Amino acid sequence: MKHVTDALCVFRIHLARLRAEAGPFVLAALVFPTAMYLFAVAVSGAQEISDEKRLRFLAGSIVFSLSMTSVSWLGYLLLENRFTGRLKLFATLPVAPSSYIFGVLLFALAQAALGTITLLVVARVLNVRAHISFIALGLVVLVTMLCLCGLSVIIAARARSFSEGSLLTDSLGAGLVFLAPVYYSPQAMPRALSAISQWLPTTFAARAVQTTLSGSSQIGAELLALALMTVLTLSLGFRLMRWREE
Amino acid sequence: MSTNESLLAKSQAQTSNREREEEAAVVCVRGLIKRYSDGTAANRGIDLDVRCGEVVSILGPNGAGKTTFLRQLTTELKPTSGQIEIFGVDAVAEPQRAKRMMGITPQEAGVFETLTVREHFEFFGRFKALSKREARIAAFDIADELGLGAEINRRVGLLSGGQRRRILIGLALMGRPPLLVLDEPTTGLDPASRQSVWQVLRRVVAEGATIIFSTHYMEEAERLSDRIAIIEGGQLLAFDSLDKLFARLARSYRVSHSDPFDPLSEPFIRYFATFSEAQEYVARERLSEYALSRASLEDIYFTLTGERFKDGAEGESA
Repeated sequence: MKHVTDALCVFRIHLARLRAEAGPFVLAALVFPTAMYLFAVAVSGAQEISDEKRLRFLAGSIVFSLSMTSVSWLGYLLLENRFTGRLKLFATLPVAPSSYIFGVLLFALAQAALGTITLLVVARVLNVRAHISFIALGLVVLVTMLCLCGLSVIIAARARSFSEGSLLTDSLGAGLVFLAPVYYSPQAMPRALSAISQWLPTTFAARAVQTTLSGSSQIGAELLALALMTVLTLSLGFRLMRWREE
Repeated sequence: MSTNESLLAKSQAQTSNREREEEAAVVCVRGLIKRYSDGTAANRGIDLDVRCGEVVSILGPNGAGKTTFLRQLTTELKPTSGQIEIFGVDAVAEPQRAKRMMGITPQEAGVFETLTVREHFEFFGRFKALSKREARIAAFDIADELGLGAEINRRVGLLSGGQRRRILIGLALMGRPPLLVLDEPTTGLDPASRQSVWQVLRRVVAEGATIIFSTHYMEEAERLSDRIAIIEGGQLLAFDSLDKLFARLARSYRVSHSDPFDPLSEPFIRYFATFSEAQEYVARERLSEYALSRASLEDIYFTLTGERFKDGAEGESA
């Protein structure tokens, strides 16, 4: 019971931060992804853009939003906790490191849910015809968010300074989306980049999100890949996070 | 045995039990060694016992190993070797259990700028297993005691450095832990705020808490402590009550005076065994402006460490 209360307190502390600084969140989770959707539609070249393309761009924007909130924004918060001594304050308390991490992940999940739902509403306003498989979409969003959060935890744990860490999270937050073929077809990529991009979590996530937006739940392979990456990144992040110095 | 005699025996037994309890060490440190990965030995075999209800201050020059010692006590830093027991709990092996009995103010810790003072206290009360109602009541009580009552609903980002420091002390007090470990709690506070913190600390000690704190203020150590530990070079040079530390000084009278031709220079300080010896020195040197006094804690510190104490100096990190 104490673990749950502690994790909820950590969640609420970070939520208060979101409440006070909603502007950057709205920019990262909603405005930029929406702008990217509109940009991708505009430069797609076709007079009448197909529903499939629209869904791909929407899936890309949802993954963009997830990446910006889970890697850039959350990474920034974790770095701030570490380098401004807030993590030290948590470490003085009888709070298990796992409660802190679960609280942070809960916060990231709340952001991911808020961002995804709002983007779906925006898509409806923009006349994107989607037949959403909600449960499958929820699963993909959850696993993608966890996997990307794992990357944030690793960076926040390993960065030698705040500026180094925030530069990394910012680059990775945007780079993971632009390296994955989410706003363009994989064939349009140079061969070397294509080889890399097919192993990125955002590639699997975008493919899975697009599938769920078209009403299908055939996302087993993508989910499995994302789950494996989640286990890898989160367990490494847990391992690297220093709650207690040696 | 008459009723009176049996009551007397019972009362004596209770008194001796209480004395034993007070004498029992609540913090027991044995052979504490901390060697960092770069080879620096910050603590070199510290042994120290702190009894229930005691106030112990830790003094030492910058880099002496005070903060390293306290960070190991609070389980933040893992010792290279040695034992730390907090109320009988092995703090090295079971840090979470040990922390349940401690209120900790680290030397450098950040607060959450977007939270209000009340939210800080309430959340930390919840972390310390208080109910919502208890945490709320404690938040108001502690804020009042620390002179933060008027700011209770203000965001911490709008408060001064001294007010933030008092919040950190308040967070340690939440949940009334039986042991407080405070690393330079009053550094950066103005004299009035320092007095209010001292008052709070005296109150918690009167309620039975034990306090271990490091400080850069001699006056603070003299006024608050039952025993004073002096650490230098990672070793415990002395650990005793103020009276017993004074008794170590063979020459307990000090004369200090400045060079009349260079009044801004460092003052000369000389020590003497008796008052008359000190007076003779003053007469012999024909000093017109001087101070003759009994030795202070600062003199003991100087005798032991060979360094002058720098009141309110910047915090150390080692």
